[in-house]
Amino acid sequence: MGVLDYFKPVSSMTAEEVREFLRNKAAGEYNLVDVRQSGEYERGHIPGARLIPMGELGERHRELDPDKPTICY
Amino acid sequence: MEGGIKAWEGLKAVGAPEAGMAYFTRADRPEALIALAWLLEEGSRKFYSGLPVLVSDDDALKLFGRLAAAEEHHKSLLTGLYKSLTGGEPGAGFPGSLLGGEPKDDTMEGGVRVSEALAWVKGKELHDVLELALSLEANSYDLYIKMGRAVPGRDSQEVFRLLTAEEKDHLARLGTLLDKKL
Repeated sequence: MGVLDYFKPVSSMTAEEVREFLRNKAAGEYNLVDVRQSGEYERGHIPGARLIPMGELGERHRELDPDKPTICY
Repeated sequence: MEGGIKAWEGLKAVGAPEAGMAYFTRADRPEALIALAWLLEEGSRKFYSGLPVLVSDDDALKLFGRLAAAEEHHKSLLTGLYKSLTGGEPGAGFPGSLLGGEPKDDTMEGGVRVSEALAWVKGKELHDVLELALSLEANSYDLYIKMGRAVPGRDSQEVFRLLTAEEKDHLARLGTLLDKKL
């Protein structure tokens, strides 16, 4: 990831749009990432979300398939 | 997602980051993952099979019957996957022999004990029972997505993809019934 990537626009979705998106897609068609801490994740997360805390994203973003849309929360 | 998790009003799964439940980390081999999924499916089948004496709504009974049959079908899929992976039949001690005794065979999807769940259901309103079933299926859906990432090989992943899709369908059916009954 280069410095210019920080300036790329990122679109956002409302929770309802995300729900509709997930309803219409199979689990393997997207990356769903929970960027909170593990304790928060344990207390409740969107089913299927992969936990990658914000502080680990720089190292672990390769776990995500770049060819699929990615939703973060 | 705007508003983060606080804006999310849909179903949530609970549990450790590694998976939907703590037992997952003990199932460190593909055969053990299959055994774990099989055991949880059997628990859910017992749960849905035990509901008819506690619930009287016809629509709900019909759906619980379908879900119990689906869990039986899932067990068959998992047994087939076990055979194709190991080249042999599951032994007499299956699935517990692969899981070191935990979880107990009374456990279902979501890591809940069947006996405790059925005891909780007694005297509850239908919407409470449906909400319990929804939360169980949400955890199951979460677990299968993660198991699908953990098992090696396309065939194994395809079985978990199928199970994931079916759990999603169960969630939709339970949600539709809950909306209808509210």
